[in-house]
Amino acid sequence: MFEFCLHVLTLACIYGLIALALNLQAGYTGLLNFGHIAFVGIGAYAVGIGHLAGWALLPSLIAGVLAAMALAWLVARLGRNLASDYWGIATLAVAEIVRIIALNQDSLTGGAQGISALPGLFAGASNAHQNLYTTLLLMVLTALFAVLSVRLANSRFGRALRLLREQPQLASCLGYDLLQLKSRALMASAALAALGGALLASYTSYVSADYLLAAQTFLVWSMVMIGGLGSVRGVLLGALLVQCAYSFVPFAKDYLNIGSDVAGALRIGLVGVILLVCLLWRSGGLLPERLRVMP
Amino acid sequence: MNALLKVTGMAKAYGGNQVLASVDFEVRPGEIIGVIGPNGSGKSTLLNAISGFTPIDRGEVLLQGRPLQGMPAHRIVEQGLARTFQLPSMPDKMTVMEVLLAASTTAHGFWGSLLGSRANREAERAGRARAEQLLDELLLRKVRDNAAAALSGGQKKLLSVACALMGKPQLLMLDEPTAGVHPNLRRDMIQTLQHLNRQGLALMIVEHDMHFIRDLCHRCIVLDRGQIVAVCTPAELSSNEQVLEAYLGRGTRHPKEAIA
Repeated sequence: MFEFCLHVLTLACIYGLIALALNLQAGYTGLLNFGHIAFVGIGAYAVGIGHLAGWALLPSLIAGVLAAMALAWLVARLGRNLASDYWGIATLAVAEIVRIIALNQDSLTGGAQGISALPGLFAGASNAHQNLYTTLLLMVLTALFAVLSVRLANSRFGRALRLLREQPQLASCLGYDLLQLKSRALMASAALAALGGALLASYTSYVSADYLLAAQTFLVWSMVMIGGLGSVRGVLLGALLVQCAYSFVPFAKDYLNIGSDVAGALRIGLVGVILLVCLLWRSGGLLPERLRVMP
Repeated sequence: MNALLKVTGMAKAYGGNQVLASVDFEVRPGEIIGVIGPNGSGKSTLLNAISGFTPIDRGEVLLQGRPLQGMPAHRIVEQGLARTFQLPSMPDKMTVMEVLLAASTTAHGFWGSLLGSRANREAERAGRARAEQLLDELLLRKVRDNAAAALSGGQKKLLSVACALMGKPQLLMLDEPTAGVHPNLRRDMIQTLQHLNRQGLALMIVEHDMHFIRDLCHRCIVLDRGQIVAVCTPAELSSNEQVLEAYLGRGTRHPKEAIA
């Protein structure tokens, strides 16, 4: 059971990082990115492809982060003249393109089989220790990026982002270059998402095109929405809640004696129900963004 | 005297509708200039065109001799030309103080903000001092920590003026600063604007309220159907034939009080 809890916590931390990254775009900057998973997938595939090429984990991870940032730069420019909802649809399309490339470039990505037997984080340690160390490292990383997120939101850059989110016309009238702000926020977010993706691939020691399904983006979106868009504590709580809901459904399956196909649907349905209840009952999320009163 | 802002031959059409037809005028340093005209005469388009929010078809805009036309809006602000909007909307998840601090764009880079570079800390300190001063000057002290969207219409207008002043502009263009503002606040606003003007700020004010124009402006531009039909002092407005015609139509025999 302890091992299982470690597993849930580790996944919650990884998705916490990915959700913090989405919060940078959607929460702070107001960017409706429905293709967030593309950045995660690039990070994950970088670890996979790097492994096939004989690279160590760290250089593969860095390559993944850089590639995701390059894609973010492109995506920001791609939609420079699109209204935010149209831009959202364009991001969905970009993520699908990335997924289909991953699915069909067999020689590079292993196609539908994916790439397996990826190296873990603490490959040298014994099995039991490996999991514990991984969980601890991820908790530290998540805490670090949560602190940095809060710091960024309260900084001059973060204030500019929030002004852009709420009143883009005012922001531009005050002298902000909106494209530059969006592009920087998107690149920072992509770097963090790719880090999360690389850690996910390394932790599950596997990557396939299924990691890039649009449903994954919406899973991360539901974490952010349930917790509270724009609120770091909320986003982390949302990631933990959704991950728990996901992980404990298999227990309910045994207890209620239902088939595994039903259980799979139940998982997604459960997240949907939680999201719906949250939206109706607390539209700002469980821990909504608050006014920041300056001392 | 050298003009602070010089507009020559500015033209703008929306489809077949010539909203601005060859507009020429200048704003002198330290001047308060009013822009009046009936609805649809092109006042707001003129403001949008100068501030880079509406691309123009023809013409030249010079701020202290430097051309502004074709420059994106955010670059024009950097040159020292700020503006407010007719219906300022404000963010609901930011306090008045935060909006003011966000209104200064100095040192807002990503790394500097995240790591707290020296330039960033200095900009923050200077921004805070300036914001606190503007809160007092523009009578917003009491609402410092309120959500900016929760302000009254008049207070939002004051806040948008304060935001524009965070950047220390040379010329500030105001779009109907008194529409929907309580008369008491209007009086305070006149005093505040005069005070700012004495400190050297030139103002260009689009306004319907003739009393406001008369109390504040040194000169007036009268726009009608996209053209400047008169440039005069506020006192001359009510005796100017073109002004009467613009407001009341051709062949008006009616008394001067009509626009007073």
